[in-house]
Amino acid sequence: MARKNCLVKNLEAVETLGSTSTICSDKTGTLTQNRMTVAHMWFDNQIHEADTTEDQSGSSFDKSSLTWSSLARVAALCNRAVFKAAQDALPILKRDVAGDASESALLKCIELSCGSVKVMREKNKKVAEIPFNSTNKYQLSIHDTVEGESESSYLLVMKGAPERILDRCSTIMVQGKEQPMDEEMKEAFQNAYLELGGLGERVLGFCHVFMSEEKYPKGFAFDTDDVNFQTDNLCFVGLMSMIDPPRAAVPDAVGKCRSAGIKVIMVTGDHPITAKAIAKGVGIISEGNETVEDIAARLNIPVAQVNPRDAKACVIHGTDLKDLSQDQMDDILRNHTEIVFARTSPQQKLIIVEGCQRLGAIVAVTGDGVNDSPALKKADIGVAMGISGSDVSKQAADMILLDDNFASIVTGVEEGRLIFDNLKKSIAYTLTSNIPEITPFLFFILVNIPLPLGTITILCIDLGTDMVPAISLAYEAAESDIMKRQPRNPQRDKLVNERLISIAYGQIGMIQALGGFFAYFVIMAENGFLPSVLVGIRLNWDDRSTNDLEDSYGQQWTYEQRKIVEFTCHTAFFVSIVVVQWADVIICKTRRNSVFQQGMKNKILIFGLFEETALAAFLSYCPGMDVALRMYPLKPSWWFIAFPYSFLIFVYDEIRKLILRRNPGGWVEKETYY
Amino acid sequence: MAKDGEKSGWKEYIWNPRTREFLGRTASSWGLILLFYVVFYIFLAGLFTLTMYVMLQTLDDHKPTWQDRLSTPGMVIRPKAGEYFEIIYNTENTESWDMYTQTLDKFLAPYNSSEQALKNDECTPDQYFQQEDSGSVKNNPKRSCQFNRTILEDCSGIHDRYYGYQSGKPCIIIKLNRVIGMLPGKDGQAPFVTCGAKREDSEKIGELMYFPPNGTFNLMYYPYYGKKAQVNYSQPLVAVKFLNITQNEDVNIECKINANNIPLGSERDKFAGRVSFKLRINTK
Repeated sequence: MARKNCLVKNLEAVETLGSTSTICSDKTGTLTQNRMTVAHMWFDNQIHEADTTEDQSGSSFDKSSLTWSSLARVAALCNRAVFKAAQDALPILKRDVAGDASESALLKCIELSCGSVKVMREKNKKVAEIPFNSTNKYQLSIHDTVEGESESSYLLVMKGAPERILDRCSTIMVQGKEQPMDEEMKEAFQNAYLELGGLGERVLGFCHVFMSEEKYPKGFAFDTDDVNFQTDNLCFVGLMSMIDPPRAAVPDAVGKCRSAGIKVIMVTGDHPITAKAIAKGVGIISEGNETVEDIAARLNIPVAQVNPRDAKACVIHGTDLKDLSQDQMDDILRNHTEIVFARTSPQQKLIIVEGCQRLGAIVAVTGDGVNDSPALKKADIGVAMGISGSDVSKQAADMILLDDNFASIVTGVEEGRLIFDNLKKSIAYTLTSNIPEITPFLFFILVNIPLPLGTITILCIDLGTDMVPAISLAYEAAESDIMKRQPRNPQRDKLVNERLISIAYGQIGMIQALGGFFAYFVIMAENGFLPSVLVGIRLNWDDRSTNDLEDSYGQQWTYEQRKIVEFTCHTAFFVSIVVVQWADVIICKTRRNSVFQQGMKNKILIFGLFEETALAAFLSYCPGMDVALRMYPLKPSWWFIAFPYSFLIFVYDEIRKLILRRNPGGWVEKETYY
Repeated sequence: MAKDGEKSGWKEYIWNPRTREFLGRTASSWGLILLFYVVFYIFLAGLFTLTMYVMLQTLDDHKPTWQDRLSTPGMVIRPKAGEYFEIIYNTENTESWDMYTQTLDKFLAPYNSSEQALKNDECTPDQYFQQEDSGSVKNNPKRSCQFNRTILEDCSGIHDRYYGYQSGKPCIIIKLNRVIGMLPGKDGQAPFVTCGAKREDSEKIGELMYFPPNGTFNLMYYPYYGKKAQVNYSQPLVAVKFLNITQNEDVNIECKINANNIPLGSERDKFAGRVSFKLRINTK
């Protein structure tokens, strides 16, 4: 996870992420870049698109029009933002700006498209300015003109709320030529304004006027407190709109989450229209899905008449949220697949998370601000932004995205699901060997045969040879469908279920036990004790004072001599378990795919196979093992006794998985797919 | 109320009358899964039986595949010295040694001359009684040599019914374990038993007498061909009589087999090629 720039603060969080069924995401700074960027411009009666990508890889617009250069000039001059010092080496979009968000956006846009704003400002020095105030909703400044640019000495540039700017304009610039403003133009302006506003963008209007030389000659003293110059009859130049664009990786990540069955909800304190626009942009509200308002607008009927069941998406305002009861909230969460909560307070974010959890979802919350912290804490897993996140949110979170990349959440979900799957495999592998370990003792007691498998050899399996293969299953690669599945239902989909036990204990374990017993009987028989004489012999066998115990051929054995044969049987049973566990680890690699599809790419598993065999050989053949652990060297042929059973395990499980793949939902899957 | 809910939850799990589920499964579901397991286990049992059968076919009828663990044959004594390998009795108290004599009687009964004459042959002594097969023609059933009780002389129980126990000169019979194909003692040197005291008891052991003389196992009783081929095999015995063992004292005795081609048993196995026991004869 760290390699993918995800800092995990507590490890269980990764598994929780794997079972996530809902993600509640903050908008600003999490889904968006938190950087106002100029997205569109309207001039020459046309909407132009600007490039908002982080690395300027988008398409450019036509800059040849004179209107554009005027617009650019107004935007550059009527602007108090400046780049901070010593940043020439940095790309323009990454530079720090001193100034508010909108002006920074304009500054960067102009710098990118037209070149150095500083040079422009030096060419047209500022003479006077009236800063923005919320009553007038505009700001203006007066600049020297450049030699030869015009007869006037001064240029007045103004920007502000579009409707205010339009009111003060009597002419409009089209293709570089000033034209009188007529109704047609005004209507075009309104449409453009509506359209850009509807995209959730912040729109600003720009205008200018070359001040008449007679009225305002060079050296005129402009008074900004008691305005002594014209502020109307200006020439309208154009509109520029800006938006906080989504992060590049987000739409893709949201898409992947959806196909993984995870619901993505946006929870933001921002304006509903902007929230909805961004939601549409990233895919939280998908193409073709409408809210009740959209349907009402489309069918031209009042909102109240729209059937709420038709709308799969909805945008809820914070003030409406206050009045909702728990049941209504549950209703909304249950019936809509695409939800946006706008203008929410931090407490409301918390209520939303609780609502989702009440419905049984596992909730992940992503956020970066202080206002996200309560929700981050309450969530089953909290994810904070590493770079732009506040310290509080990083403290409250269980996971931190070091590069602020929302797409890392997808990686986290994948890792979490993979861990859960691999844990199942590892448990199935380890549990299986329990049956061949316990049945020898059961038969020893019930059938009175000499003990087939001793305590030390059991420990050699559990603590020795089975360790590395069991752990190696954790490194298994994902079977193909991991992100196309629904999230795990924590009530129903348990880690260890009856199907796993049925396979491990009832089926594979039994085959393994038979392999071990076969080895036991072979060695006993080859030494002279046929199976028939073994049944019931236990009391005599274990009697130290019987030193002439007769075998099936009539030979007589001392206590130690037959005990050596017994311990050789223990060693062989142990080796047989190792042999059948080879097959077991290979079949436990996959739960659905065939081993041939999955491949043997897990190097640790291959190492584990060799290591456990080497360890088994060492324990059997190393001089001194007969004294230390009472494990005896095996004749070479005895290693192969359990091979048929090992092969059977492999073939049986491959066939089972084949049937499982061919009949999805069938009996085999229901009873054996763990 | 909550507990009731829990209890009824449990009860519902065991038997749900609405969906007719027992422990979470309907009857047909139980039927299917049990059927599967029955078929599966029958198949496994069949496979196991098949592999066992194949394995048993590879075994020789008369000789086990491996005998390396029996390279040093074991030795045992009669009467059995019990769990703690000790023979303790009081000469005055008949009951304390009675069981020993009875055991010896029972043990030596099959060696009566009459019975031996019926079952076995008189063989040429001091040479191996080889009865080899020639290729695929089996020379079965094989004949065995007689071992008569009379060979044990004073310890045969014929003259002295009490095997010397009453008089404080007990007889102990020593047996060498049967190993198929074993030919102890090369070059005509018969294996023989020697008994000695262990540790500090060498003064207490006194004089010993062996029957047959020198405590040898005659070569004619070897090789052993297994109980299938040699049905009436009479295992040779050696008896040792303790003529003046120190009484009222624990005496630790060890009897060993001496043969030039039987390796010394491992340190661990106290009965491979030797047998140890404690003898205590009380007189009060």
